[in-house]
Amino acid sequence: MRPDFYVLSWNDVIISLVFVAISVILIKKWKLGLENTLLIGTLRTFVQLTVMGYVLTWFFDQQHWAFMLGLLLIMILIASYEGTRRQKNEIPHFFSSMLISLLGSAIFILGTILLFILDVKPWYSPYAAIPIGGMIIGNGLNSTSLTANRFVAELKHREKEIETLLSLGASPKQAVFDSMKASMHAALIPNINSLMTVGLVQLPGVMTGQILAGIDPLIAVRYQIMIMYMWFTTATMANMIMLAIVYRQFFTKKQQLRRELLRENFRSASLH
Amino acid sequence: MIVDQIFRFDDVSLQVNGKQLLNALSFTVNKGEFLTVLGASGAGKSSLLRMFNALSSPSNGSIQFRGSPIESDIQSLRQNVGILFQNPVVFQGSIKENLMIAGRWNNSISHLLDHELRSILNQVGLEEFNLGKNAKDLSGGEQQRLALACTLLNHPQVLLLDEPTSNLDSKLARAIMDLVDKLRRELDLTIIVVSHDHLLMREYAQRVILLSNGEIVADGPFKVLDEQGAFKKVGLSGREVSHET
Repeated sequence: MRPDFYVLSWNDVIISLVFVAISVILIKKWKLGLENTLLIGTLRTFVQLTVMGYVLTWFFDQQHWAFMLGLLLIMILIASYEGTRRQKNEIPHFFSSMLISLLGSAIFILGTILLFILDVKPWYSPYAAIPIGGMIIGNGLNSTSLTANRFVAELKHREKEIETLLSLGASPKQAVFDSMKASMHAALIPNINSLMTVGLVQLPGVMTGQILAGIDPLIAVRYQIMIMYMWFTTATMANMIMLAIVYRQFFTKKQQLRRELLRENFRSASLH
Repeated sequence: MIVDQIFRFDDVSLQVNGKQLLNALSFTVNKGEFLTVLGASGAGKSSLLRMFNALSSPSNGSIQFRGSPIESDIQSLRQNVGILFQNPVVFQGSIKENLMIAGRWNNSISHLLDHELRSILNQVGLEEFNLGKNAKDLSGGEQQRLALACTLLNHPQVLLLDEPTSNLDSKLARAIMDLVDKLRRELDLTIIVVSHDHLLMREYAQRVILLSNGEIVADGPFKVLDEQGAFKKVGLSGREVSHET
């Protein structure tokens, strides 16, 4: 390892603003009207990540399991809120569904990595738990948000099919199982595609970061392989848990499809 | 006679989004009856039909099926009370895959042999088709018969039909109603048909429930309702057939 290798100073970061300046010039030339949004985004990236850096430094100094678990829980709560906000459709109890699916998959996957793969000692060492936990939660958030949107679209598209199956004696789960399968399929294909192309088209972020920080590429590669497998499992587990909770919200206790939730204007109507 | 009573509606009302769709309906349906529910568009016919197999529930009042609350065993109720929707759904795949769809949860269907499936096709007039034929290639009327066959595989006691003739020309409309009547006799079914076509229904149904604005305005045989002038009151008079849906 070469710890001093390519260390960035704040001056270096300021120089990298030249990229933003180039983008602003190009955007103005095309009159895209996005300059202000880009400048706000640039500022937010700087502030959010700098604050996060200080917060992480403070947390890393605490060396106590409660701080690590507390931070992970906060990340999961924020992700669940963000996932609910991104939802185009009204799904009752979606925040709790996200919370349970992210919590469940994070506990299982992070626990396995910390205890059995990396063998981290102590297990709550934030240097491993926080970045890996962050990746699990982030990937879980993106995947479950997309899957939930797709699931509701499937329900809308298959409303008559679902009621036909119910009428033939299917349980609610049996009636929506094809919709669940279709949305799982859509969620997992991008993950499988990235397993196919990783390393051929681009070097993934974690690996690039480690190599830039001076880590032996062969060690960086092993981390990346583990992360790719972890990502896929996160998407599979979090989506399955989320769908197993969410589909129930679309049925009454009397096994009737709540068709009012599938109407286009339901969300806006219910918010007023 | 309580043993012959299949359905009992007591003071049933339905409100959706503050709108009163059905209002204080009370009636019974007996085993083996051929009942038609008639009324103009928006009268609440389809909302009423969905209650017979608990696809929706009343906001007020109670419904009994064979003497027990309708929601006491919903999956069994739905197998006993089949429904043919106005635009029946045909699933991706072959005729056989469609017929076997309920086999995912019903072992008596998953174990059916090809000759048993062909016999059900025969029963609904689709005997000329191969079980391997793509179901989506069937015409609208044929798809309707296939959906009917899927329902019959559950051995229902009651068959609900939502505007079964609305998308068919008069010849096909008569053919599907002839088939329903034949099945009623052969399988001892109770038939409940929602329709706006009172001229066709009077050839088959023994009893009419006439709905208007969610309320029963008349209930009885066609002859009695004709004498009361009930059809005129809800705009279904004369030889004209309303084609609104």
